[in-house]
Amino acid sequence: MKPLCKPHEHFNRRAFLKGSLLTGAGVSVANFGSLFHAQAAVNEAQKKGKRCILLWMNGGASQLDTFDMKPGRPTAGPFRPIGTNVNGLQICEYLPKMAKVADKLAVIRSMRTGSPDHPDGIYHMHTGFKQSERTPHAEIGAVIAKYCGNLDADLPSFVRMGPTGNAGPGYLGPNFAPFSLQRDGRMPTFSTSNLKPEVRERRAELFRFLETEFARQHQAEPFESHRLAKERAWRLLRAREAFDVSEEWPAHKDRYGDSNFGRGCFTALKLIERGVPFVEIGHDNYDSHANNFVCHKANLQQLDPAWSTLLLDLEDRGLLEDTLVVWMGEVGRTPNINNRAGRDHYIRAWSIVLSGSGIKGGQVYGASDEDGRDVAENPVNEGDLFATIYTALGINPRKKHFWGKRPVWLTPEEAKPIAPFLS
Amino acid sequence: MAFIILLLATLSAPAAPLRAVIDREVAQGWKTGKVEPAQLANDATFLRRSYLDLTGTVPTYAEARVFLDDAAKGKRAKLVDRLLTDKRHARHQMQIWDLIIFTRNPANPAFTRKRDAFKNWLEKQFAKNVPWDALVRKMILAEEAGSAMFHVQYRNRPEDETVAVSRIFLGTQLGCARCHDHPFEALTQRDFYGMAGFFVRLQVLQETKGKEKVYTIGEKSSGEVLFTGPAADAVPGKKGEPVAPKFLSGAALDEPDLPKEFKEPDYRKIKKAPYPKPFFSRKEKLAAWITAPENPYFARAAVNRVWAQFMGRGLVHPVDDLKPDSEPSHPALLDALAKEFVAHKFDLSWLMREIVLSESYQRDSAGPGTAAAPKWYERARVRPLSAEEFMAALRVATGFNVAQGLDAKMPNAAGSYMLKIFGKPTDGRGNFQGGVHEHMFLNNGSQLRSLISAKKGNLADTLLKSEAPWDERVDRLFLSTLTRIPSSAEREKLVAYITAKKDDKRVTRARLEESIWALLNSSRFRFNY
Repeated sequence: MKPLCKPHEHFNRRAFLKGSLLTGAGVSVANFGSLFHAQAAVNEAQKKGKRCILLWMNGGASQLDTFDMKPGRPTAGPFRPIGTNVNGLQICEYLPKMAKVADKLAVIRSMRTGSPDHPDGIYHMHTGFKQSERTPHAEIGAVIAKYCGNLDADLPSFVRMGPTGNAGPGYLGPNFAPFSLQRDGRMPTFSTSNLKPEVRERRAELFRFLETEFARQHQAEPFESHRLAKERAWRLLRAREAFDVSEEWPAHKDRYGDSNFGRGCFTALKLIERGVPFVEIGHDNYDSHANNFVCHKANLQQLDPAWSTLLLDLEDRGLLEDTLVVWMGEVGRTPNINNRAGRDHYIRAWSIVLSGSGIKGGQVYGASDEDGRDVAENPVNEGDLFATIYTALGINPRKKHFWGKRPVWLTPEEAKPIAPFLS
Repeated sequence: MAFIILLLATLSAPAAPLRAVIDREVAQGWKTGKVEPAQLANDATFLRRSYLDLTGTVPTYAEARVFLDDAAKGKRAKLVDRLLTDKRHARHQMQIWDLIIFTRNPANPAFTRKRDAFKNWLEKQFAKNVPWDALVRKMILAEEAGSAMFHVQYRNRPEDETVAVSRIFLGTQLGCARCHDHPFEALTQRDFYGMAGFFVRLQVLQETKGKEKVYTIGEKSSGEVLFTGPAADAVPGKKGEPVAPKFLSGAALDEPDLPKEFKEPDYRKIKKAPYPKPFFSRKEKLAAWITAPENPYFARAAVNRVWAQFMGRGLVHPVDDLKPDSEPSHPALLDALAKEFVAHKFDLSWLMREIVLSESYQRDSAGPGTAAAPKWYERARVRPLSAEEFMAALRVATGFNVAQGLDAKMPNAAGSYMLKIFGKPTDGRGNFQGGVHEHMFLNNGSQLRSLISAKKGNLADTLLKSEAPWDERVDRLFLSTLTRIPSSAEREKLVAYITAKKDDKRVTRARLEESIWALLNSSRFRFNY
């Protein structure tokens, strides 16, 4: 398989930084500080880059009340199905805008997964592996940051907002750790500075002076990694306005819906435009053990405008063909409705939706039985899902890494991408 | 053949201290690897390195001064002797082994997250320099107060405990054999489950005494591991066959039959210690076998780990990959270390002293080559300070809460942030990655600033109040933070920087604090090199 974002196409950070570090403070400042220069190079390197947005339904959305409805069956709830712009595909009445973009959606109705609860399910659905394994697997965001991102970019490669993953970069290391915005879009702890810019500049200049002396004699890799990370933190501070959408937001909030999730989706669009390869937006809270239908009605009304507008805006900008948008949570919900009008966790048959990045839209893969109790055809597990996602992004799903002595692959050996999605 | 005889002769000669053997074998390695050794490190570099390696922190200004001004010969040996009995040494050793055993994300976190009793117990063992075999025996027997936590981590998970015990104390990877016979190695899945048989009967009792949880380990007299064959062939509902316990060496456990009339107590009903004694203790047999001088793995695994702790990489690398056919970078050296360690009754202090006083440990880290830990040890290794070391070093360098000594807390919840941000600084292969998060914390957080900014008695305050010329004050600044005297260019630059507006006290103070910030952020501070 041919990766679409090859490392050698990435801007060579060593070539860029080496000279400047050794030529003394003045030149370094000019080079390091040159946001435009760095940004232009990154844009060039990432032109062909694949990207991914993960819409994370925290708690686990109900497949029976969204994309796999069972009208007339005892497991159906009160929601009615509506038709979509794809012949024969029906979805929930509270997703009317999604119904109009259904031709972009590839729906999996046969997820059968292995971790039934929240922390373990969240881990499993972010890594493709069981949490109990004790190998620190890498989250999907870290993997995509590594293979589609660029360490020389001003912006981090793995951005997330709200309730999201719990595994972190795992064996890939701190370079691929998530940059986690608060759920209302505010910046993470320690990402802003209240020092005057001239103080920061002076400190930076002293730092570079000390490092330049030291680097003459000490060439070991960790030192360089330390200096590059320091410069990256400074560049990030200068580029932080990318995360602030407050000026543009009023013009878009009616389209996306005036919610944290809607604003998160709009922020994701802006970041994807700037070349960030992975953004995850968490949407609370789907864990409807009680009052499932009240919960879902409210949630879907936020989800529907945000998700559909995101897809349309990505398409308008020509980004959808390289941006995979994934809709999923950690579990599905029980076909049986419990005595609190709730649905509990369910992993024997549930749904996930993909679109963009070459995924063929307007189709359904797999099916659940007539009451949604089990998979009727083409079961898909976590490994298959991640193999599909990575393949769509040009990442070899069998790429090998190491945890100490132990080899670790991105997906298990038996994982198979969903072929009809990728053709 | 002649070479081997010669080698054996030299190894058995009692006169040569171990450090001479180390230096001879390492020098031999330079020839094999065709590398040139770096020169020996100067006193300042040795001082900082040995402090960090032996005590987990940097020397205070006063400690540095005394050592550097000492003109006596043999001062390095004197220093090492002092540091090995320093209470910071026991604390540091405890932190290293606690992290090896529990990692940053321990298993069974509800029980193991808080484990002060275990840490105190472990620290005491190192403070008393309890021999390594005795220490491991105690940890497996888990009979002393506080020592139970190792087993607690693997409560009801004998397979995981098998992997951990083999990896940590025997340097051997069994992880693969858990699910399948290893394609290239002699160990089979049955060997794995044979070892698991030693743990399957363990019981963990949790009692609450005041605010503390107290753990007791018991052992049943019955119960076997069930073996179901390769994981790939597993089907739901398939019952396994019981596997008798067997040592990794291949020897089966000689175990008496349980008397017919024996009735196993119901362990679920026991709510108070002590647990009943088992009819026959597998745990005792295992502890004895693991720590026996003739165990082919135990001493080698220990010396390989201790060596890596100081030298940056194991003679077998990674340190937990010893196996019959593994090829150490310096085979004769590994043999000698293990043999002498046993001969010295598993004395850890002695072993560390020999390593640290070898010339091989005392090489400079400067020179060509980008490897963090050169295979042939021609240069000193470079490693990041652990989160704990980094915090301790920041406190010592800035003179924060000096009076509280070892247990001083960091300001503004810095401790929990730093464990999170600096706790796992490497990728899966152990390579350092300077993540952007650690620099966001150092650049923008209030925590480092509050350590630095002038407060009564701290570094900035002392320097501002001093009447000495700024030349001397900058020397003190460098010694306090980087354990070295600045070069003349550095001194000149910093003096000019700090005294740019001599008469404005606020500017001087701000610029001194900026200088401290730059020094604490520099590579020289971040790494043990």
